[in-house]
Amino acid sequence: MSENFIQIKGLTKRYKHAAEPAVNKLDLEIEKKTVFGLLGPNGAGKTTTISIICNQINADSGTVTIDGKDLSADRERIKRIIGVVPQDIALYPNLSAYENLKFFGNMYGLSGNSLKDRIKKNMLDFGLEHKLHKKIKTFSGGMKRRVNLIAGILHKPQILILDEPTVGIDVQSKNVILEHLKNLNKNNDTTILYTSHLMDEAEQFCTQVGIIDEGKLIAVGNPKAMIEEYKTCYKLEDIYLLLTGRSLRD
Amino acid sequence: MLLKFNASIVKESLLLLRDKAGLAMLFIMPMALVLLMTLLQDTTLKLLDERRTPIFVINYDADTFGVSVLNGLKQARFFDVHTKLNDKALTEEELRRYVLEGKFRVGIIIHKGASDALRNKIKTEIQEQFPAEEESLFEVDHDAENVLPRVDIYFDPIIKNDFKNAMTSALREFSYAVEAKMIFEIYAELIQDITDIEIKQNNGFQNIIDFREEYATERESRMVPNSVQHNVPAWTIFAMFFIVIPLAGNIIKERETGLAMRLRTMPGSNLPVILGKAFVYFIVGIFQAILMLMIGLFVLPLFGTPALIIGSGILPLFLITIAVSMAASGYGILIGTIATTQEQSSIFGSISVVILAALGGIWVPTFVMSDMMLKVSRFSPLNWALNGYYEVFLRSAGVSDVFGYIVLLILFFVFCIGLAFLYNKYKKSLS
Repeated sequence: MSENFIQIKGLTKRYKHAAEPAVNKLDLEIEKKTVFGLLGPNGAGKTTTISIICNQINADSGTVTIDGKDLSADRERIKRIIGVVPQDIALYPNLSAYENLKFFGNMYGLSGNSLKDRIKKNMLDFGLEHKLHKKIKTFSGGMKRRVNLIAGILHKPQILILDEPTVGIDVQSKNVILEHLKNLNKNNDTTILYTSHLMDEAEQFCTQVGIIDEGKLIAVGNPKAMIEEYKTCYKLEDIYLLLTGRSLRD
Repeated sequence: MLLKFNASIVKESLLLLRDKAGLAMLFIMPMALVLLMTLLQDTTLKLLDERRTPIFVINYDADTFGVSVLNGLKQARFFDVHTKLNDKALTEEELRRYVLEGKFRVGIIIHKGASDALRNKIKTEIQEQFPAEEESLFEVDHDAENVLPRVDIYFDPIIKNDFKNAMTSALREFSYAVEAKMIFEIYAELIQDITDIEIKQNNGFQNIIDFREEYATERESRMVPNSVQHNVPAWTIFAMFFIVIPLAGNIIKERETGLAMRLRTMPGSNLPVILGKAFVYFIVGIFQAILMLMIGLFVLPLFGTPALIIGSGILPLFLITIAVSMAASGYGILIGTIATTQEQSSIFGSISVVILAALGGIWVPTFVMSDMMLKVSRFSPLNWALNGYYEVFLRSAGVSDVFGYIVLLILFFVFCIGLAFLYNKYKKSLS
């Protein structure tokens, strides 16, 4: 039986000097082992929601419960089961891939041979074994994205949060990343929460999607089931445009 | 905690070693600073010593007073005394103009009859010491009784008060010597008249007092305060505090590239990471100090300056260096935490260090500061550092003498780290 692994209730966040809240009484439930895509136009509240879950910022009100633990009360324990892959390439360009990953592994309390083995295995899985000791600044965009991802999964998190992990990379790198994420989900039971603007990718990759706009969840469900539900729509992008409108967002 | 701290040290060390420009800034620039500032100040001091101030003297008194004052000025090593310009004597008006234009820093006019006036005055004073009914001892010119020897001094308007005081003191000194000589001569003449014994006149009473100049350091110390002893520690501290710029820049860069955000998502406190960063820059500060002391010991003498003498020993020097480096790295962490952009941190970091240096006595010695500025200077960590080094380099201090400064500098480090930590918490509460 499925269980709600992540539960968000009445989550509200208004930034200082902002006229409207970035997230407005958001309710969301994500089951364990789900690949959940949080979709929405610019300024819809995706990054704010993720930032609250990742302990980056505090919510004004509402609750976030992960694996039955309240985020505000059990931050440290929750941090241990979360892996975060930011949209920026958050790596040290003058360090090699190995040195970067060793540093981030140490930050998660990993060390010694077990860390070394994990780094080598992941680099191999992502087709980067020959680049292990090369500096990040010599990597292509796709390679950097892959190392950026490895840094977030070294500690084998139960929840992996990714902010547009495939933005600006070639098809091959994108394919490797998505395949690996699917394997993580399938083999390690990792729950994946990711944001994207790429509707086709979300349709193929996610088992559940939530469309968010003006800080509120306006639709949630399995992409294929949603396409069936919206008779006039042939793909997820049509539903997205139908619900969020065609006007430009800043 | 320890794993995070160690990982942070390894990471920062690697980043620093691979940043050639950063390393150059951390080591070559301070070396150049210590070398140049010490040599410049040494040369300036020598120049001041060797270059005499041009003064012009119009002497209308070709008698004892005028001649003695003129000779005294010529013999003093500070003045380049002129009595003619292009083989021509100047008028009083010309002299005033030349001084105003800065051609001569000082113009002195010794008025005619100054010696006679002085002599007359002395005789009158001596006469007054005897009962009024006694017959007159001298032939005193009663018309000139109240005429005093006159000397006019014109100063270049840009001249500093210190120099003015030195000049007037020198003139007074020469005048007193002439006065004393005249009194001696007049008394000698008087005694000769009374006793018929010929009094041998000499100048033996001059320089009777033996002024011995020594610096109040330990007797066994051979240290002589000079530009090297002053400048090497001063500019070493200044350079050590300049690690604020790369350190703060490093923190901001982590924030701008999302690395800080990633680190905050990881379990445990971020404090060991920050402390690891501070530790690496603390070690850099120690190496900077060692390098710059080496320059004082071995490189500066190659340029003709005296070698740096490490006064009271290695231990107090080592302890004060540790404290200075801690204070500098703590300050860097604070600036990096509070500043929001690289530009902000580099401008604020550098200017604040210059201000703290100026207040602390790095640029201008604190003893020439006004009382108010002197009080303010006591709040500068660079002042505590400089005083600590001076204790070691100039006053042969032991560990107990520098202990107060060490404690202040370590407290400053704790204050900076604490404030940075609290500021981070405050910022997170606002977001």
